Amino acid sequence: MARPELIIQGLRVGVEGREIVKGLDLTVRGGEVHAIMGPNGTGKSTMASALMGHPSYEVLGGTATLDGQNILGMAVDERARAGLFLAMQYPAEISGVSNANFLRTALNARRAENDPVPVMQFHRDLKAKMESLQIDQSFAERYVNEGFSGGEKKRNEILQMAVLRPRIAVLDEIDSGLDIDAVKLVASGVSQMLSEDLGVLIITHYQRILNYINPTNVHVMMQGRIVRSGGPELAMELEARGYEWLRQELGIDEPITEEA
Amino acid sequence: MAGTLVELTPEQIAAFAADEPSWLLERRLGALGRVSELPLRQSKQTPFETAPFMALDLAQAPSVTAGAVPAGVELVDLRTAIQEGRLEVQQHLGRLFTEGEDRLHALHLATFAGGAFCRVERGVELQEPLQLTVELESGALYAPHLLVVLEEGARADLIVELRGEAGTEAAVRGAVEIVLGDNAALNYTEFQRVPGRTQTYWPRRAELGRDAKLHWILADVGARLAVADTRTYLRGNGAEARVLASFFGGRRQHFDFNHVMVHEGQHTTSDIEARGVLQGRARAVYNANSLIRKQAKGASGWQHEHTLMLSEEARADLIPELEISEWEVSAGHAASAGPVDPIQVHYMESRGISPVESRRLIVAGFLASLLQDIPLASVRERIADIFQEKVEL
Repeated sequence: MARPELIIQGLRVGVEGREIVKGLDLTVRGGEVHAIMGPNGTGKSTMASALMGHPSYEVLGGTATLDGQNILGMAVDERARAGLFLAMQYPAEISGVSNANFLRTALNARRAENDPVPVMQFHRDLKAKMESLQIDQSFAERYVNEGFSGGEKKRNEILQMAVLRPRIAVLDEIDSGLDIDAVKLVASGVSQMLSEDLGVLIITHYQRILNYINPTNVHVMMQGRIVRSGGPELAMELEARGYEWLRQELGIDEPITEEA
Repeated sequence: MAGTLVELTPEQIAAFAADEPSWLLERRLGALGRVSELPLRQSKQTPFETAPFMALDLAQAPSVTAGAVPAGVELVDLRTAIQEGRLEVQQHLGRLFTEGEDRLHALHLATFAGGAFCRVERGVELQEPLQLTVELESGALYAPHLLVVLEEGARADLIVELRGEAGTEAAVRGAVEIVLGDNAALNYTEFQRVPGRTQTYWPRRAELGRDAKLHWILADVGARLAVADTRTYLRGNGAEARVLASFFGGRRQHFDFNHVMVHEGQHTTSDIEARGVLQGRARAVYNANSLIRKQAKGASGWQHEHTLMLSEEARADLIPELEISEWEVSAGHAASAGPVDPIQVHYMESRGISPVESRRLIVAGFLASLLQDIPLASVRERIADIFQEKVEL
């Protein structure tokens, strides 16, 4: 199979009638790690949620294709089966459904009905992946995210990614609310998965996670658009100087207050 | 009384109970005498005056089968226990229905037939759960009585299943009585999956001694009409009771459930967690009451009820209540009803699971999460599978 390729062109997204993402262009290919940075309220998470098809977000214009297929025209579950994965900022809790059952159902949804994943093999693989992410084995039988700490939820997102092996993974603030050890653990989990068959898009406020996952491309998003792109050095510069200089350079003077 | 033209006479009762000891005949005749005097519990939402279990008629004993019985346990047909003169039966049978007795309770006591007697001896701690299956057949009115006595310090799990072959059209006017001695602990699981044309009336009573613990794990999926009221008396100080009630109604099923926790002892705690799912034109009337009596200092009584509504035509009436006569207590309730959370559905879909399968898992999981305390994984999974199969999407 060819390298994965996500191409976003002129994407516009609205929430409750208000346009948040105002024409975004971005291409992510297998083997690449892109980081989208930027202050709160600039549309980073809105873009990610709209790509996955969150019911509260409305696509107002533009296109997004994954391996040439128009994902914006697909149902949410079809997008996932096409190879798109979103590690969510606030994963839902699902009472009464164990992590293992959830993941096995998700894997089987990708296979023919008469060819489910063998149960023993599934549990062996799951166990190995939990070990590599230093996740306690009790996770498998716990209900999906119910009673999980913030850090456990984030690790659970990465575990799901490891099991489902997407072609393009969008990680929405997978580092927020975590202490430095947890950030390292999550980052090393993602790093272990990197290959030509996976493209990663990391959305973050902070440069610190990029110390543990080396990005190939760094973008800054402001006012619903990508306003600057560069290599890893751009992240370092933002870390050292903040966003204000870029705002001044670009002549952006609107106050940025809202979380999007 | 509706459903019959024939009056039930003392002579009929005497003939029916001919081989029973005299104390029991007296108790039956006393109850028969009260039938016409006692009020029928009225429910605007559930008019059951014409239900077949109201019939002023003699009833028969259903087939009751018990699983393995370990040392220190008696688990026998109630009839056998009566004939063998078990003192506990004479001591407890019908006792917990005295307070707040209504017409149906009295009618049951006058006409009960069969059931089971379970006694766990003092200090015996069972490792494996006890099991009872009550099997119904068409055309009959059944009136089984289950009497469960755990002596001081005894610990047990009991799993009761009410079932019948598909298409069975029976009526049940039964009762459950549980007596827990000081420091005894019981997990009582009841799985009601009688066929869709059967109608059941199934009150439950329990009395808890000092530091006794009772978990009611109740799962209702069957019956055209199921009426049940569960009343738990927390008599001893430090007693603790929980209700974990799950119900799933579809088509034109009608459930009327009432859970009451009566706090009498100090530092008694109770918790009612009920979860329902309604689809089709199903209807549930759900009442709960935490009743904290004077002197029950330090008592705590909480209720949580949530019902998932899967169709526009389904209807739920949720009525949580608190009746508190003591100052130093904590109590509260929350009740709500609504559709499946679209954010949960989205999360599952985002992992590639179809919308239909996502909803099925969420709905079944919502109920199945109340089954965790059932000690047998096989029973837990069987109930969860039945929940899952029932979801219509």
